[in-house]
Amino acid sequence: MKKKLMFKNFSIYFDQYLFISITLLSVMGLFFLYSASQGDLNTVIKQSIFVGFGLFLMFILSQPDPDFYKIFSSLFIVLAVVLMFATMIFGREVNGAKRWLNFGFFTLQTSEIIKIALPIFLASYLYNKPLPISLKHTFITLALICFVFYLVYSQPDLGTGLVVFMAGIYILFLAGLSWKFIFTSFGLLVLSMPFLWNNFLEPFQRQRILTFIDPSSDPFGSSWNITQSKIAIGSGGMSGKGYQEGSQAHLNFLPEAETDFIFAVIAEEFGFIGICVLLSFFFFILLRCIYLAFNARDRFCRLTIGGLSLVFASTLFINLGMVVGIIPVVGMPMPFISKGGSSLLSFYIAFGIIISMATHKKLMQK
Amino acid sequence: MIDLNERYAEKKSFFNRLVVVYVFFGFVFSFFLYQTYSLQVSEYKDYETAAIANKTKEVLVQPVRGIIYDRSGKIIVNNVPTYDLIVKASLIKSIDAFLSDLSPIIELDSDELDYVRENFDLKARYNRELIVKKNLSKEEIAKFEVRGYKFPNAFIDVRYSRYNNYPELFSHAVGYVGGVNNDELASILNSQALPQIETIFKYSNGFQIGKTGLESTYDQILRGKYGKKIFEVDARGRFVEEREFIKPTNGENLFTTLDIEAQQVAYDQMDNRRGAVVAIEIDSGSIVSYVSTPSFSTNAISNGISSRAFNALIQDNDKPFFDRASQGRYSPASTIKPAIALFGIENNIVDWDFSMEDPGYFILPEDQRVYRGWREGGHGNVNLNKAMIVSSNTFFFSLAYKSDINKLIEHLSKFGFGKKVCADCFNPDKALLPTPEWKMNNLNFGWFKGDTVNLGVGQGYLSATPLQLAYYSTVLANKGTSKELSFIHEKQDIKNLNIQLNNTDDLDWKRLHQSMIGVIESPIGTAKRLQELKTYTVAAKSGTVELVSTDTKEDYKIIRENEGNRDHAIIIAFGPMPNPKYAVSVVIENGESGGSVAGPVAIEVLNSLIGK
Repeated sequence: MKKKLMFKNFSIYFDQYLFISITLLSVMGLFFLYSASQGDLNTVIKQSIFVGFGLFLMFILSQPDPDFYKIFSSLFIVLAVVLMFATMIFGREVNGAKRWLNFGFFTLQTSEIIKIALPIFLASYLYNKPLPISLKHTFITLALICFVFYLVYSQPDLGTGLVVFMAGIYILFLAGLSWKFIFTSFGLLVLSMPFLWNNFLEPFQRQRILTFIDPSSDPFGSSWNITQSKIAIGSGGMSGKGYQEGSQAHLNFLPEAETDFIFAVIAEEFGFIGICVLLSFFFFILLRCIYLAFNARDRFCRLTIGGLSLVFASTLFINLGMVVGIIPVVGMPMPFISKGGSSLLSFYIAFGIIISMATHKKLMQK
Repeated sequence: MIDLNERYAEKKSFFNRLVVVYVFFGFVFSFFLYQTYSLQVSEYKDYETAAIANKTKEVLVQPVRGIIYDRSGKIIVNNVPTYDLIVKASLIKSIDAFLSDLSPIIELDSDELDYVRENFDLKARYNRELIVKKNLSKEEIAKFEVRGYKFPNAFIDVRYSRYNNYPELFSHAVGYVGGVNNDELASILNSQALPQIETIFKYSNGFQIGKTGLESTYDQILRGKYGKKIFEVDARGRFVEEREFIKPTNGENLFTTLDIEAQQVAYDQMDNRRGAVVAIEIDSGSIVSYVSTPSFSTNAISNGISSRAFNALIQDNDKPFFDRASQGRYSPASTIKPAIALFGIENNIVDWDFSMEDPGYFILPEDQRVYRGWREGGHGNVNLNKAMIVSSNTFFFSLAYKSDINKLIEHLSKFGFGKKVCADCFNPDKALLPTPEWKMNNLNFGWFKGDTVNLGVGQGYLSATPLQLAYYSTVLANKGTSKELSFIHEKQDIKNLNIQLNNTDDLDWKRLHQSMIGVIESPIGTAKRLQELKTYTVAAKSGTVELVSTDTKEDYKIIRENEGNRDHAIIIAFGPMPNPKYAVSVVIENGESGGSVAGPVAIEVLNSLIGK
């Protein structure tokens, strides 16, 4: 239930279901991270500071009225785009990719901001457009989505780029994109596939996809990750090897065990049962988001809740699909579990906004 | 103002679309769960195995090789510990600093320094041990023990080297060990059902395998069973910890029938001349002495030899590596005569009363070709006994002339000619017992009567190894009964190889022995010079192998200027008579006289065996 706690003059906006499940998930994440980082207490302490700050941020961001987000959404997106450009110029280069902006105490992955700013802006742009969305608005929206996608993609960060792209498309779809347009463009997309393959994918990205289709083509290159991840998950069995007993993670066979592949560590140590328990939390959060979306006060809130929760779900599924080997490796953290500041905080921010959208009711319907 | 109908439509549309997306996600989610389920439950076994294979690395541990004893329990080959300085490379920050700290205690030469510097990085990366110096001296060990606290990451470890107490005496009989090559290791591991191992460890552990002689023949027994250490490794192949240590089973000791003293006597007597001595204990068929000279040090070969010294051995014209005892092919020459005599008796061609005139040559009736004896003018009237004692070629030419070649070949093969006579000798040669088929196939000529005549005096195509001659000598001594020769007493699978002679009785054998005793004891015997060398009776038959055929003694004097043209000296002997215990054969290349050159060697070996 949405709660509006009354304290004399002001109200506190709060959804206990989301708050409790996200807190539990975060604590479980710290617990898993301790094992995945091979008992590195520093990593866990740093992460728990982010978690604590994140939960606080989530609480703070659920207080403003949705109108605040609606009004300032243009400012947010402009700010996010500026940050993206700043990253392009001042960003820290790691492994040939410029994704981080250094603020001294904190390095920000700016694509995480735009991942949230874009859906909110699009929701505020489309909430008052008549159904179905006209071709003009559709193209304006698509242009914006493509522009933002390109900014992220050129860092290069295909994974986050895809999530940003999908976030935009969700909003457009939920806002009432005409079915005619959907089918036409889908047909065109299929036809232009070869062109996109040749011109838009970097050689290493093509290699990843090819490796994914035929893992034996590259036994020690990019499929090493997939192979080791599958071994980790598979060898966990029904009940797992036990906490901190996962040999794949602890002997470094598993790459990126603290970040992208943390799910494999959990699967190895807690087995299929552990995975089911963990996923039920995610499942619960997503179901709760549907409920909140239906009961939101207006179209803007609905679109925002729908869009942000789908960003969350997409991130989760891309991560899981990658780790169990059903989609190529793109580099995507597991929400609330994987190590990492920006991506972790971005979901607390997203859920803070979701809660704001869900808990604020207008006393009078317009 | 948005009207209510429109609001309702919008809400419904949103609801439908969100459901579409969630249903889609639901499918993805189900598919994902299914994938996890199949990995963790359906294919669990495969992945469990893969995870275990990932993290374990097995390293073989070589067992200590069995000791080889002589027949009185003295050690011939032992394992001596050598001490190596080893470091845990990954724990050492700077190898140069380490080496300079080490230099006042243990000095390394430039080769050793190069080895350490070249291998350090690799060993450090994989957390392996690095051998800094091999074969530490006692002083070096003592110094390191005192100041070792400065080097917490270095330690001294023991390794066993194969050490032959008589390195030149047994070089061909016992042989040597060497490093295991990949194929050999693979077959050893296969036989023990062990998995393939890691090559980085192979050489530093010094895995050995018998390369020649008994070390090779009995390698499986001496070797023992490999143990293994199972390590947990991480993704980079670094050793994390030792999980399991299955101890190796050490090799079994080998108790041979070899006699160190007789071996020493034989070796000393040969005095580095080219040739071989083989002595047999008659009752058991066991080899008590087995010498091929010149020889080389097996210790040098087993434990490292400079390439210059090795090349010198390889290029030595006397071929020290060549095992003359079991691979040298020599014409038996006159030593064949006892067997031919037995053939004559068995086939009623001659008896002990038969006699004939020996003018010093035999003329082949078919083509009037002259076959000469060794003594100009001949030996006068000779019977079988005298023909043996004086080694009358004429008598045996004539005997052979009357023989059926196929029967003769069959008869000779019973004495071990052209056959394998030893159960456990290393790579023995069968030499050659020629047959008409062999001659036709190899030389494209039919068998001439003259070939049979030549066979009667052990010349021509016939050849035998000293080992076969020793066996032959044993068969003669034991009156036709013998066992396959062997280095191991009471070897299980030893064959009895009795000769079936129907027309030859004990008296014939006694008379044959008597004639062979006469070779030494008779004043006209070809080996009469051996009389004073012993205190008991010995039966013998000497031989002189003609390498170049000459018609006169003058001609021989010319060709003997070249040492390689000189006759080989050869003798077979057994004693003490009348109940012989040991049989011996001696071949000395280019020694010229069987009786007076090879003879003393044979007698001294018998002395050392019988004198006890």
